[in-house]
Amino acid sequence: MNAKLPVLFVSACALAFALGGCAAGTTNIDTVNDEGKAVMELDYRDFSQAASEMIQSMIRSGALNKKGGGRYVVATGRIVNDTMQRIDTDQLMAKVEEELMNSGLVTMTSAVGGKGAPDEMIYNTRDIRDSHEGDEFNKDTIAGKGQLIAPELSVSGKIFQKNLRYDNKQQQVEYYFQLKVSDLTSGLRLWQKESIIGKRGSNKSVPW
Amino acid sequence: MKTVIGIMLSIAVLISGCYKPRDPRINLKEGVRSDSLDGNIITRPIGAAFSTIIGEGIEINSVTTVKNKAGFMEVHVSGYNKAIGTRRFQYKVEWVDSKGLVLDSKTSTWLPVSATAKSSFSFYAVAPSQDAVDFKINTRQ
Repeated sequence: MNAKLPVLFVSACALAFALGGCAAGTTNIDTVNDEGKAVMELDYRDFSQAASEMIQSMIRSGALNKKGGGRYVVATGRIVNDTMQRIDTDQLMAKVEEELMNSGLVTMTSAVGGKGAPDEMIYNTRDIRDSHEGDEFNKDTIAGKGQLIAPELSVSGKIFQKNLRYDNKQQQVEYYFQLKVSDLTSGLRLWQKESIIGKRGSNKSVPW
Repeated sequence: MKTVIGIMLSIAVLISGCYKPRDPRINLKEGVRSDSLDGNIITRPIGAAFSTIIGEGIEINSVTTVKNKAGFMEVHVSGYNKAIGTRRFQYKVEWVDSKGLVLDSKTSTWLPVSATAKSSFSFYAVAPSQDAVDFKINTRQ
């Protein structure tokens, strides 16, 4: 029994060394020039691509050019995630909102949105104003009633997924990004675009 | 044997000589159009090998810039894929302001292009703001 101990010890060490050698070290992704292979799920590159296509199309269409000049006030409406993945739709919309504001064509509102007010502090401060705690604040520095600006346009949309069997070994996953801009006064739709990202890969990988 | 090969090559050359593109705007891919020297079943491997050896690929024919309705700069790039197979590549546009500074933009990301074999292709990009006066385009496989 004792004679076997050194052999077992050496074997265990060799196994640990081999396994340790196989483990990949952690590296940061070069998000500027990421040459990593594609994955079946949606990754940040897919959101960047979809957002870029959407933004360029939106700006190019002229739908955001306000007659008489100035900027439209835009709210982000409901963006539905109808994929099998847990996606925060802000992965798409944060990019779109940022670029639209930087374009100088629109101003985004934080007072209303599809998921409620993007910034709840707008209403929290008003609740304070209307409560006994409001006495603690200088009245001139608290927002009065009728100060909020209503949105003129809304951006809403949907991301959905379709899984298809490609052959015995491969599956095809299609992701559809759909956005639309509507005039909140007239209800008319001013712009709309669909961007598709398709992936084909092993049946063994599960895209959710 | 030499005579047979000679006759077949002559026929291939004659067939290819008969094919003339009617309108350069319409590209008829091999298998759709009439037989030609580069698409003929006998000469195709020779053409393919030659194309690979000399490294035929993407050529950019024109780069046009315009101001769109919103006053934003647009760049339209058109080119031709001389290779015998589809060429897929990515491009990234960086926009530059009047001071030569690069404008930070989420639209400056790698975007895919697929150029069909022996066909023209095009893509465009829209500047993220009216401050853009020039651009730089990078490509990668």
